[in-house]
Amino acid sequence: MISLVNVTKFYKTNLGNRYIFKDLSFDIPTGHNIAILGSNGAGKSTLFRLLAGSEYPNKGKVYCNLNISWPVALATGIHPEMTGRENTRFIGRVNGVVDLDDYEQRVKGFAELKENYELPVRTYSSGMRSRLAFACSIAIDFDVYLIDEVTSVGDAGFKRKAKQALLERSKNANVIMVSHDMRDIRQFCDSAIVLHQGELTFYNDLDEGIRKYQAL
Amino acid sequence: MSSIAKRSPWGIWKDVIFALFAREIRVGFNDKLGIGWAIVQPVLFIFILSFLRGRLNGGETHGIPTFVFMAFGMVLIQCFLQTFHAGARAIKKNKALFAFRQVQPISVVLASGLFELLVKIFVSLGMGLMMYFLDLELQLSDPLSLMFYFFSLWLFSLSLGFIFGLIALYIPEVDKIQNLMTRPLFFISGVFFSLQDFPQEYWWLLDWNPILHAIELSRYAAYPVYGQVGVSSGYLAMSVLTSTFLCLSIYQAYWKKAISR
Repeated sequence: MISLVNVTKFYKTNLGNRYIFKDLSFDIPTGHNIAILGSNGAGKSTLFRLLAGSEYPNKGKVYCNLNISWPVALATGIHPEMTGRENTRFIGRVNGVVDLDDYEQRVKGFAELKENYELPVRTYSSGMRSRLAFACSIAIDFDVYLIDEVTSVGDAGFKRKAKQALLERSKNANVIMVSHDMRDIRQFCDSAIVLHQGELTFYNDLDEGIRKYQAL
Repeated sequence: MSSIAKRSPWGIWKDVIFALFAREIRVGFNDKLGIGWAIVQPVLFIFILSFLRGRLNGGETHGIPTFVFMAFGMVLIQCFLQTFHAGARAIKKNKALFAFRQVQPISVVLASGLFELLVKIFVSLGMGLMMYFLDLELQLSDPLSLMFYFFSLWLFSLSLGFIFGLIALYIPEVDKIQNLMTRPLFFISGVFFSLQDFPQEYWWLLDWNPILHAIELSRYAAYPVYGQVGVSSGYLAMSVLTSTFLCLSIYQAYWKKAISR
């Protein structure tokens, strides 16, 4: 269970404080693969970063008793001058992976980077980068994976593989994802949270959520 | 699937700082010259400058060879300047890494500080080695005190840099005046002169500066004949304590806000 309790979050701008959430309380249900839907600037990424503990609310608290991944976006934590392998080790160490060598092998296999794994990430195409980022997170045993638009860059084959991996893990793991591509969302998710004007609404049925979102 | 270990907060800290440190080493020496250059370049620079100054002066400064006199000043001021800048840069440079909730700004600052410390230790050893092979006289009568001064100066620079890095997150303009503020330190910290060269009534202009204390005390620790005039290890220690306390308090109060901007 992830719960937000009285969360207030704002950013300071030249025009005063811009509130994303005001005194928001919400429980994110477990056991669902959830898509977060909302228009641009509604605060999807902010919500994501709050859930992951990358940022902290100005007031209130986020409680979470699950093993939750970092928000897996294209470039998080990946240094362009380091090789795929070195980046993998770095991420593994930070997250406390027990067997780093085994983890390296898994990521290499899953991301299908072959010998490119030993080259600096700056030489990678965007598809390769997203594969590496996604593989780094899926190869770790998390309870919840936070996926931020990463899958949209991979090709059809990789998407199939990613979905397969998530399905295999779906007995004890879930995904929360942000994407503007409805096909991606339908592929990975079964329910939705619509984010509108600082309010969250959970829809058990994905299609209903998408309809509500498109009607906004 | 790779399982993750349940770690104590201390265990997470250790892992993260090690990972960042390894990354720092990996990225810091990325070109063909690699790790050697980070040490050879400052050693050469310090050596040439000290040598020229030693030649000009010919002999001794307050009882110690001018070359050694200069070398101490140069190594320590470089240690200060580079650690300070590394500490001040660290948070901004690694901002993307705070996406991992395990990575906190203080670990990033510590890792880059440790990296600077490692480089400076090798630079000092390199200087010693060079002097040994060139048959230059070097005496270290009190190595323990010397190490204490060196480490104090490092901690002082890092905490000062840390404070600047935190302020810069709120007031970005600080970056611009930072260079302006540190440049004069090269000239007023006793690198090229000793406090003993000045008449006592003007000491108050210079002796507020803990770097000057660290440099003069180190010379004295190596060569007791140099004399400990106008400087005190108590003052240096108090400056280190104050700056460390200050940076940790500011950090404790503001770090969550600092990465949430």
